[in-house]
Amino acid sequence: MSLDTRKATVRWILVLAVTLAFFYGLDHFIMSAQGLPLNWDMTPGN
Amino acid sequence: MNWLAYCPVPSTWCRALIAVLVVAIGLSAGEFVTDASAASHGAEQQIASVGSDEVTDESTSLRPAARPKRSDYPSIGVSSRGVVWAIAQLHLFFGALVLAVPIFVLVIELIGFKTNDDRYDDMAHEFMKVSLTAYAITALFGGALALSLFLLYPDFMIYMTRVFESQLLIYAVLFFLESMLLYIYYYGWNALRYGNRKWVHLTLGLLLNAVGTTLLVVANSWSTFMMAPSGVDPATGAVTGNIWEIMKGPLWNPLNLHRFLANIAFGGAVVGAYAAFKFLAAQTPAEKAHYDWMGYTSNFTAILAFLPLPFAGYWMMAEVYAYSQQMGILAMGGILAWLFVIQAVLICTILLAGNYYLWTGMARTEGSARYRWLIKYIAVVLVVGFLVWVTPHNVIYSASEIARLGGGNHPVLGPLGIMPAKNIAVFLMLIFTFLSFQLYRRADKVITVSWQHWGNTLMIAIYIVASANVIFAGVYYGYFTNTVYKVGSSVIQVGSTAVVIVSGVVIDTLMFKGAKTLRVSWGKVPDRAQYALFALPVAFTWLMALMGYIRSSVRTHWHVYAVMKDNSPDNFIPTLQTVGNMVTLVTLLFLIFLLFIFWIANLSGTKQVPLATDGKPAPAESAA
Repeated sequence: MSLDTRKATVRWILVLAVTLAFFYGLDHFIMSAQGLPLNWDMTPGN
Repeated sequence: MNWLAYCPVPSTWCRALIAVLVVAIGLSAGEFVTDASAASHGAEQQIASVGSDEVTDESTSLRPAARPKRSDYPSIGVSSRGVVWAIAQLHLFFGALVLAVPIFVLVIELIGFKTNDDRYDDMAHEFMKVSLTAYAITALFGGALALSLFLLYPDFMIYMTRVFESQLLIYAVLFFLESMLLYIYYYGWNALRYGNRKWVHLTLGLLLNAVGTTLLVVANSWSTFMMAPSGVDPATGAVTGNIWEIMKGPLWNPLNLHRFLANIAFGGAVVGAYAAFKFLAAQTPAEKAHYDWMGYTSNFTAILAFLPLPFAGYWMMAEVYAYSQQMGILAMGGILAWLFVIQAVLICTILLAGNYYLWTGMARTEGSARYRWLIKYIAVVLVVGFLVWVTPHNVIYSASEIARLGGGNHPVLGPLGIMPAKNIAVFLMLIFTFLSFQLYRRADKVITVSWQHWGNTLMIAIYIVASANVIFAGVYYGYFTNTVYKVGSSVIQVGSTAVVIVSGVVIDTLMFKGAKTLRVSWGKVPDRAQYALFALPVAFTWLMALMGYIRSSVRTHWHVYAVMKDNSPDNFIPTLQTVGNMVTLVTLLFLIFLLFIFWIANLSGTKQVPLATDGKPAPAESAA
């Protein structure tokens, strides 16, 4: 694997992880704000 | 000290500006006085009515709403509702146009001033020409509407006049101010074009928009009072609150936001059609370039204002449900629900036309070759989304059809008829329409910032995760959890779409710093792109007529919901066929008037060539 490919792969993994974490938090925040909490695995808390 | 001497513009203009400001401040003060007087109105009425035959005790001292009988409604031989329906809708179309155009004209004028580019200024001025021509027609339909309402629904109008009392006079004064400012803004354009005078002109534009938006929200309060009355006794309709309590009903602000955005989208679409009309008639490359750019700006404005419109619509319907579940179910689950299928067709037409215009417009720059391969995938998402959105849920089948289907719903397509599937379709269509916009904006740029790889990766990741989140929320909460979570999950979809739009704008703004701009060949766009610009106002007009009917129709047999009953011969929800015919009729009438406006606007720029010396007519006319 060339250096550029390795850099691009690391960049993709990092960015995808951050984006997934952001949307995961956003979903919890939006549902909780409506009084509809979620469990850690995204199933309904109520 | 004569401080006017220090004014950078002629003293006449300073005085005129001061006079306008004084009148505006005076009006504001007047409104407060009106609020206060309205608050004490009930007490005054009580005092005035002492000794009257109608007064029996303290609880009936406030005048209730009238209970008109069938015979109290004048008959003119045709449906009164039909007459008022057509005139009101035409007034709303033109009102939307003349209130919206100055909003984006002011922004374009400011951009031209800050960038010192006369092209922006010329374009903004030409947009205003269309708006100005439409203004007189707006006023004519407004007057016709008031007269027809007082003639055909006298008891209702007496009640509304009593409820809103002096606010109606404020509306009239605002209308005068709007007219004055509009004419000064348009005709003063060249006299106040450069230097400090431009600031005076921009201030006039700001005042024009402030007055116009105030007119909009005041008129909205009449509509929302009829749907969800406040500030009156629910049992009798007697006025119990002040004018502010009457205006700020539960639906007022949702409607204000929805109409504000929709008007801008509608105004952008209409002036886009004007630009397309001029583009197709243009004789020189310079004219073609000018009107191509004008059409692009109009489409940009229309779609940009259109993208957040579903969010405002969701808010509005949520408030309708919160106010009256019966009203909400009638709109989206009863007979009116069928009209939402037509709404889907019209919205998809708007999205397809807007996207198609952007894709064909990419031909203007060679840099677009980098992104053209993506267009077919965006088209697939839009077409599949369209098909899902228009899939109906409750189709009336014959017994043999039900037997062949094996039930009341299609075994495969049935699940696509309910809201979770439609929500996924709508939000993915919005996300991918924004992608078209983003690609178009990037087409003429070569990004040079050092972190461009990180920026691009982040943007792509946001598109992927947001789209996956929209699908996940729709499928999982929509089909596999309870109703409360199903409804709540639509906010996740709204949030995901909003994140894409906001982050797209922010990331691009930061990445475009120091970017190399490629040449854009304005005017080198296929003629067929202009027909997409014609499709937009047709679909927008139809959509406004349709959704305006639904909003008004949920009151069913009430003039003012649950307060003043409608006993006229038209106090029923008409058949879908009648609705379709009326909506189509007013749309066609508006389009005919619009062609007249385009013709008039074009005529004002046409100069006859002087007659030849032999007295024969000039061979041709030249367009200025």
